[in-house]
Parts: sequence; C-alpha cells; structure tokens
Amino acid sequence: MSNDHTAARGLARETLAGAGETPPTRRGAPTARRGRGDRQVWLYVIPVSAVFLFVFVGPLIYTAWTALHETTYYQIGEFSGLNSFVKLFSDPDLRKSIGTTLVFSLGALVIALPAGLLSAIVLNDISRFKRTVRSLFLLTWLMSQATAGTIWVWFLNPNFGPATAITTSLGFGPTDVFTTPATALLAVTLITAWWSYPQAMLLFLGALQTVPEELRESLRVDGGGIWHGFVHITLPYLRNTIVSVVVVLLMLYVQMVTIILVTTRGGPLAATETLSMRVFNQTFNEFDLSGASATAILLFAVNIVLTLVAIRFRRKETL
Amino acid sequence: MTASRPRQANHVLRRAPTWVYIIVSALIVLPPVAWIVSTSLKVEKDTIQFPPQWVPDPITFGNYTGLFTPTNIRFFVNSLLYAGGSIALALAICIPAAYVATRYRSRRMEALMTGILVFSMVPAIVVFIALYSMFVKTALINTYPMLIVVYTAIICGQTILFLRNFIENIPLEIEEAAAIDGCSRRQILWRIVIPLIRPGIAAVAIFIFVFVWNDFLVGTVLATTEDMKTVQNGIVRYITTGFGNFWGLFAAFIVVAFVPVLATFVAFQRWFIAGLTSGGVKG
Repeated sequence: MSNDHTAARGLARETLAGAGETPPTRRGAPTARRGRGDRQVWLYVIPVSAVFLFVFVGPLIYTAWTALHETTYYQIGEFSGLNSFVKLFSDPDLRKSIGTTLVFSLGALVIALPAGLLSAIVLNDISRFKRTVRSLFLLTWLMSQATAGTIWVWFLNPNFGPATAITTSLGFGPTDVFTTPATALLAVTLITAWWSYPQAMLLFLGALQTVPEELRESLRVDGGGIWHGFVHITLPYLRNTIVSVVVVLLMLYVQMVTIILVTTRGGPLAATETLSMRVFNQTFNEFDLSGASATAILLFAVNIVLTLVAIRFRRKETL
Repeated sequence: MTASRPRQANHVLRRAPTWVYIIVSALIVLPPVAWIVSTSLKVEKDTIQFPPQWVPDPITFGNYTGLFTPTNIRFFVNSLLYAGGSIALALAICIPAAYVATRYRSRRMEALMTGILVFSMVPAIVVFIALYSMFVKTALINTYPMLIVVYTAIICGQTILFLRNFIENIPLEIEEAAAIDGCSRRQILWRIVIPLIRPGIAAVAIFIFVFVWNDFLVGTVLATTEDMKTVQNGIVRYITTGFGNFWGLFAAFIVVAFVPVLATFVAFQRWFIAGLTSGGVKG
C-alpha cells in the first residue's frame, strides 16, 4: 500500500459514508457539556493539526514559493514571478507528459474497474471456497507496489524470465517490454491495473453487501437472467459507488510513482513519465526544483479537481 | 426426484462462468508470485537457466540464510521502528481528535476535519519536494522521528475517519451517564470510549502497519542513507544496484518482506477486511 491510495481510500469512505450520516443534532454533544466557552475541545485537535501544518500545509506553501523563484540545486534564488509556469506550459514535453498520464490512468482504470466489479460480484455470489477466492483476489494488492513492480520485472526478464520462454516458443521473441516506449507504457499500465483492481473490488464489495434482499428476491421471482439482473438491478444500485471508485482509482493513478519508478523510472525516452513521475525526476535527477515545484502545483490542481468531483458526488447522493 | 436433476445441472451451468472467471484470475494473478517463490528456492546457477524451470531442483534454502546481512537486518528493524512509531503517534493524536470531532460537532470543527481530509489527499510527491529540500537544510533528514511524523501525517486523515465511525456507534447514554457520575471529558475518553473502540483501534493499527511496511516512496525520498532505508527500499536495491546474479537473494528477500503482511492478513483477516472496507461503503 502506498500513501497515494491511502488518502484516496479515505476519501472513498468519506464520500460513501455521507449518505448514512445522521444530522449533528442527534449525535451532538451531551447537552450539559456543550457551551460557547468550551474551548478545551480544541486542545484535542491541536496535535493532529500541528502534524498537518508541518507535513502538508507548510510544504505546500514552500512549494508554491519555490515555484515563484529561481533555484540552483536546492538553493532558492531570486524572485522570478510566474517564469517557471511560463516555462512549464511552453515546454513541449508537458503535453507529452499529460498524454502519458491520461493513457496510463484511463488505461489502468478501464481494466481495474470492470475487473474489480466482476471480482466483487463473483465473491458476493459464491459460498464455497469463499475465503480462498477472497485471498486470491486480494493477493496482488497485499503486496507492496515495489514488490508488484519488481516481480514483474523479473517475470518479464528478456533473458531468463518465463514470459520470454512462452513468447519465444510461440515465435515472438523475448519479452523485452521495458526498452521500447509503447510496450513499456503498456506494461506499466497493466502492472498498475493488476496491482490495484482489488481496491475497486473492496469498495464494490462493501456496496454489494447492502443491496436489499427484496431486490434480489424480486429478481428471482421475475425469473430474470444473470445479465438482466446485473443491468437492471446491480448496476443502477451501484451507480454512485461506481463514480466514487472511478475517482478513487483516478487519484491513485494520477499520483502513482512507485510502480513506474521501480520498473522504468519514467523511461525509455520518457515514454512512461507521467506528471507525478516528472515531478520526481525533475526533483531528484535534474535538480530543477523550481520546475518541479511548478509541475507539482499543476498536479495539485488536477488533484483538487478530482477531490471536488468526489465531494460533489457525495452531496448529490440520492440512493 | 425427477425435477431435481435438471435443476442441479442448471445450477452447475449457472455457476460455470463464476468459476471460469476465478480460474482466469488465478492464471493472471499467480504466475509471477509462483515464479518468485520458485526462484527463491533455486541454487544460483539455476535462477538464470533458460528455458526456465518452474520447479526448483535441487531445492535450497541458501538464499534465505544468505539474507542475514547487517544491512538487510537494518532494513527490517527500520521498517518495524517506523511502523511501530507511526502506530503509536497516529493513535495518540487521532483518537482525541476523532473523539471531539464526533461528540462536539460545531461548524468550525467540521471545517477543520474537512480541511484535514482534503489535505490528506494531496499527492505525497507534491509535498515531498518541499519536505526533502527543507529537511536537507535542517539536518532533519534521516531521523526516525521525522519519518514517523511524515508517515503519521499521511495516514491521519483516514485514521480519524475510521475511528469516528466507531465512536459514533457508542450509545451516547453511556457517556452521559459517566458525565453525570462526575467523569471529566478526559476520563470519559480514557475509561469509556477507548475500551469500547478497541476493535477499531486494532483494525487501524493493522492498517497503519501494512501501510508503513509496504511504503516505498517515503523511504526513498526522506531517508537518503542506507542505514535509514526501509524493507521496500531493500527489495528495489537488488535491482538498481545489484551486480552479478542476485535473483535468488532478491526473490528470497521479497518473500520474507511479504511474510509479515501475509501473516497479519491471515491472523486478523476479519479486522483486516474491516479496516479496509468498513465505516464504509453504504451504497
């Protein structure tokens, strides 16, 4: 698990829990202890606020500040206004990077979303070997991202890997996927989907378990087939969950660094350099702190948009 | 009797797609895993044999005993320290916050909690540039407390949300009764709320452990010296800096690094799943 999807999952919870929340009055404070002078309450949230200021708020401001200045290595130089942003948006690499991010995120989404939904439906449906199947479905996700990336690197190794043995015997030659741009991007996308689909599954599973028994009953009485039931009952019931899962997965993919870092480092020829990976490379390989900060602010903006979508759908929830 | 046979056949037919799906999933999920386990049990020259052999022959545990180097042990100790420290710190700061956020709701409190949630969704890589360049200048880099604080901050938003769901389920009457009996707020939290949400605390602790254990990026960016790196850095180190034939050791390292997570999952499966889904998805 990584920091990236932690936050995203937290969002899912908040997003999805919204519907069931009772109004504050019912769950409010014991009336005797509620008063305007009750300032002590804030003592309880000071530590957590301090940690957040230190790790998130402060660094964000620092990043914005850095983006507005020239930098040499890690020294902040003169104020340069929006120069680094002008440079960022006139850089032809940016368009490519955004394109890569889109292909990577949407590609992984298109695989992980149906895989997660199907897995959840299957898991919800079977009664025998349920624990075994659940462990199987969760296995990839229990691994760390670093593990997922590196075991595929070894599995696809062009010289000694079993994948090469299979493709060679079929006459395709070795699976040298990480050295050509198109296949590298494809491989990284597939590995990410492979690793992340259980997360979609867990969210769907939670929602499926709340499908009212009457709905299933009525379907059984009507004698509708599996497909009929899926299209007319399960899918509409899951509509909001699907939106949430899409947002959660997109957030996860947009900020994915680890899997790309351990497999391709953004290469070859920057073919797998998504925006997040670009921030990493600009910071730790090119030492272009000002440029990295500008890219990071752009990434932050993308993230804000996704967050807003998530919050909006929480409010609109009707089911 | 006559009716049951076609029905049974029908049942099997209806089940068929499900099991086909499960088998296909297994074929997609398992090969790389089996390959790693197989590699970890091979003698050095067999790991780079081509065409590859799936079943190691002879089987050796030499790769596992070969892992006991001071550097590798340090990786494991570090990860344990980071995980333990993060669990302690996150619980210490999140339980009080979750408690007052649930029981003393006000507009400002809600605003604060939303703020925390929104900030916890900021991509880690965005703040890492700043954290790195700030830490490098202040010698805070490569220190246990700093990494623990960063880990804690990343999981705090989720931890609070999760704990709030548990606290909400405590009947208010219990707390009111305690208040009438003269318990202070701190005593209510300590003597009533915390004992009642123990399962939630356990689930959160498991979740934090797995998160910190599996994280690669924080260790990569904020621990720059080898002696502060984590288990996940140890895995990748074989590929990035390894020379010679390291595949056997690499595979064994991956298996050993996965054992704690797998053991936690097997031992606490119910809480584990609860930690991941509950509080959760209500439709």
